[in-house]
Amino acid sequence: MSTEKITKIDVKADPAEKEWKFSDILADRKIRERWEKVRKYFFLRESTYDMTHRCNVKCDGCYYFEGDKQFASENTDVNSWRNLMKEEKARGITFVVLAGAEPSLVPELCEVCYKEMPLGVIASNGIKFIPESVGYKIHISVWGNDESSLRVRNAKNMLIRQIENYKNDPRAVFVYTFTKHNIDEVEEVTKILSEHGSKITFNIFSAPVGYDGDLRHNEESLFRTRENMVRLLLKYPDNVLFSHYSAVAHTHKYGLHDLYSCSYPRMNPSTDIGLGRSFRQYRTDLTWDRSAACCVPDTDCVDCRHYAAGSAVVTARLFRHANNPESFKAWLDYVDTYLAVWVMEYEKGKNLCDYFVAPPGYDIFL
Amino acid sequence: MPVATDTKKIVIHVAQIVIDELKLEDITPETFDPDIDLIDEVGIDSMDLATVALVIQDKYGIKIDEDDYPKLTTVRFIAEYIERKLKLI
Repeated sequence: MSTEKITKIDVKADPAEKEWKFSDILADRKIRERWEKVRKYFFLRESTYDMTHRCNVKCDGCYYFEGDKQFASENTDVNSWRNLMKEEKARGITFVVLAGAEPSLVPELCEVCYKEMPLGVIASNGIKFIPESVGYKIHISVWGNDESSLRVRNAKNMLIRQIENYKNDPRAVFVYTFTKHNIDEVEEVTKILSEHGSKITFNIFSAPVGYDGDLRHNEESLFRTRENMVRLLLKYPDNVLFSHYSAVAHTHKYGLHDLYSCSYPRMNPSTDIGLGRSFRQYRTDLTWDRSAACCVPDTDCVDCRHYAAGSAVVTARLFRHANNPESFKAWLDYVDTYLAVWVMEYEKGKNLCDYFVAPPGYDIFL
Repeated sequence: MPVATDTKKIVIHVAQIVIDELKLEDITPETFDPDIDLIDEVGIDSMDLATVALVIQDKYGIKIDEDDYPKLTTVRFIAEYIERKLKLI
């Protein structure tokens, strides 16, 4: 499908010419209901935590094994982690993301975090099962079919092992990361996951700083990725957690920082309010560094299209999306998707837009 | 509801908007300290503040710059900002 075809078929006329009041936008019952649904979660304030430097796979382009953070000493003391969580709660953090390198290798630390801070996500490769007593959402990374996983992640039968561990687990969301080379594999992987009743969302490989491998996207691969995302969203609506606007935001020619001005401290010097004020990215030694603080440190910011980054950065741009109904509906779809992916027991609604809407100030793709 | 145009009335009106939007309980616009820091002391976040800014745009027919609203951290700052904008209309 060409760009021209997509814009002709799927793009709604831009109603931005009229000056809309927020109250007029909310006069639409469906919009108001969705707004009331998502705004209940405005209390979420996140920080992220590297749990260990160990991992049971070695992936090409892994963010953890870039930069200085991989060399931090490892604090395995349960009481230190408990105290950290208490301190985090005291400074207003309500949501934790337990990430690098592989949190499933330190289940006792995950458990301590969960007991102190009951809302959060664990980013895992899914090879080792995380006990059900840890009631966080679990994001299981998928990088193509098993042939690709063997090549890029050096692990055999990855998808089969991930499914065995997490099928029918309400915590699990499989996160398919599109690289330049696995776009056509998403169909078979989504089919398999759907047959097992699993939930799937999409991520875009975003190059680490200095990365010179060939997984980095170009405009052609981003465009094909967008087509596949939307096709699968329509084909597997009960399993794929995504929206048209999520596809636009993450496969645009411009990265998230250019489109939405990244609000993580690493790119945002302001400490007035929001992520620039509260977000921290803790290393395994429980220290943090403002100049490196973002959801996936050591990503090349120009290339950043991470699902995790977008969940915070696009969501934070409520104000600029609330100037016409189409932009606002697209934003609501995005936030509804993000909450379904990240928050236990949050149920995604039907998307309000089944067509592409451009990011404020930009075209649909170019 | 007609919008207030002098400072004291704007302060009360803004306090009412903040109370309504944040669903604050046990406080009235008259007892709301206009100098209390909405972020540090009331605990509101950027999304709440953006919502308050959107409602104020509607009520006063003014345009709030996206770079400005994060700095509107007290009811008095918001009221003074509104006054300045109204003078420019």
